[in-house]
Amino acid sequence: MSLFKKMRSVFHDDWCSQCQNEMDIIHKQLFMLPHVIVGHYQSHEDANYYKQNLVKVNKKKDIPTGTYACGMHEYRCPICGHQAVKLTVFLPVRDEEKVEEVLYFDNGEMDNFRI
Amino acid sequence: METIKKYNIGYILSYIFIPAIIIAICVILNVIFDWRGSLAVITLFFIPMIAILFWCFASTLLYKQKKNQMPFILEEQGVVCNQTFYGGSCTVVVDEINKQVGLLFRWNPFQVYTIPAYKITKAWVDDGASGAGFMKGSSRVSFLFVVDAIKIRVNTFTSNKRWRMDSNYILTGISKADMMVEILNSTRGVDNSESI
Repeated sequence: MSLFKKMRSVFHDDWCSQCQNEMDIIHKQLFMLPHVIVGHYQSHEDANYYKQNLVKVNKKKDIPTGTYACGMHEYRCPICGHQAVKLTVFLPVRDEEKVEEVLYFDNGEMDNFRI
Repeated sequence: METIKKYNIGYILSYIFIPAIIIAICVILNVIFDWRGSLAVITLFFIPMIAILFWCFASTLLYKQKKNQMPFILEEQGVVCNQTFYGGSCTVVVDEINKQVGLLFRWNPFQVYTIPAYKITKAWVDDGASGAGFMKGSSRVSFLFVVDAIKIRVNTFTSNKRWRMDSNYILTGISKADMMVEILNSTRGVDNSESI
């Protein structure tokens, strides 16, 4: 593996951390965090917190005003089969999104998470 | 039901003039009696300093104290505090169960108002946007509502700078304002799509 490719992979969310190849998105889902409202956001990095609190929604319109949302991207590497999950926690505001944080679960903590 | 007063004139005037009068008395006494030494320091420095500190902080501290007491006062009146928004000039408590709204104003801090939600005739968001294109921005986001023809503005974000409309500060302010307007409208039984 070239050093240059490893360095480039730092800037690519969807590159495999094992073999630095581009991963495929195998599942996308929008959730909301019904207990987290604007002005009361607290950062959480524990996968269990998200497993317990995420509520599946089909579209952004279903999220009540002032409630935080979470976009999940599930990736799988076509070469080595490694899986990773990216969670983007954001506040939907009219047509905009205020992103609070982006979390990566690279060690299988959120793999195959379905509600 | 009492008419809502956003400002208590007596409180504002006494807040401004009592410290000013005390400073003036100190200066006059100094001129008349020609005080020197410690007495002059106390009357010409410490007392004016206390008056200036009073002007700077007293209203904020009093408003903060009254805000903390507000839930207990409303609880005694049977109001359930489902949603509370602490604005810089006005605190709004919404009781979604009994359809009531509690109000406390910074410049009338001795009176907590409780009004039925149906008295609110209009509620909307003002994002304060001005300018065009990339210059579009705002320094204040607020939600407003009208009760008995009195317009009440509650700021959700204020700044001495202008911020882009997609900045985090503005988006947070808009989100808070949208949420409060939605809650006020649902409490008074009005469709939200009309006002936001």
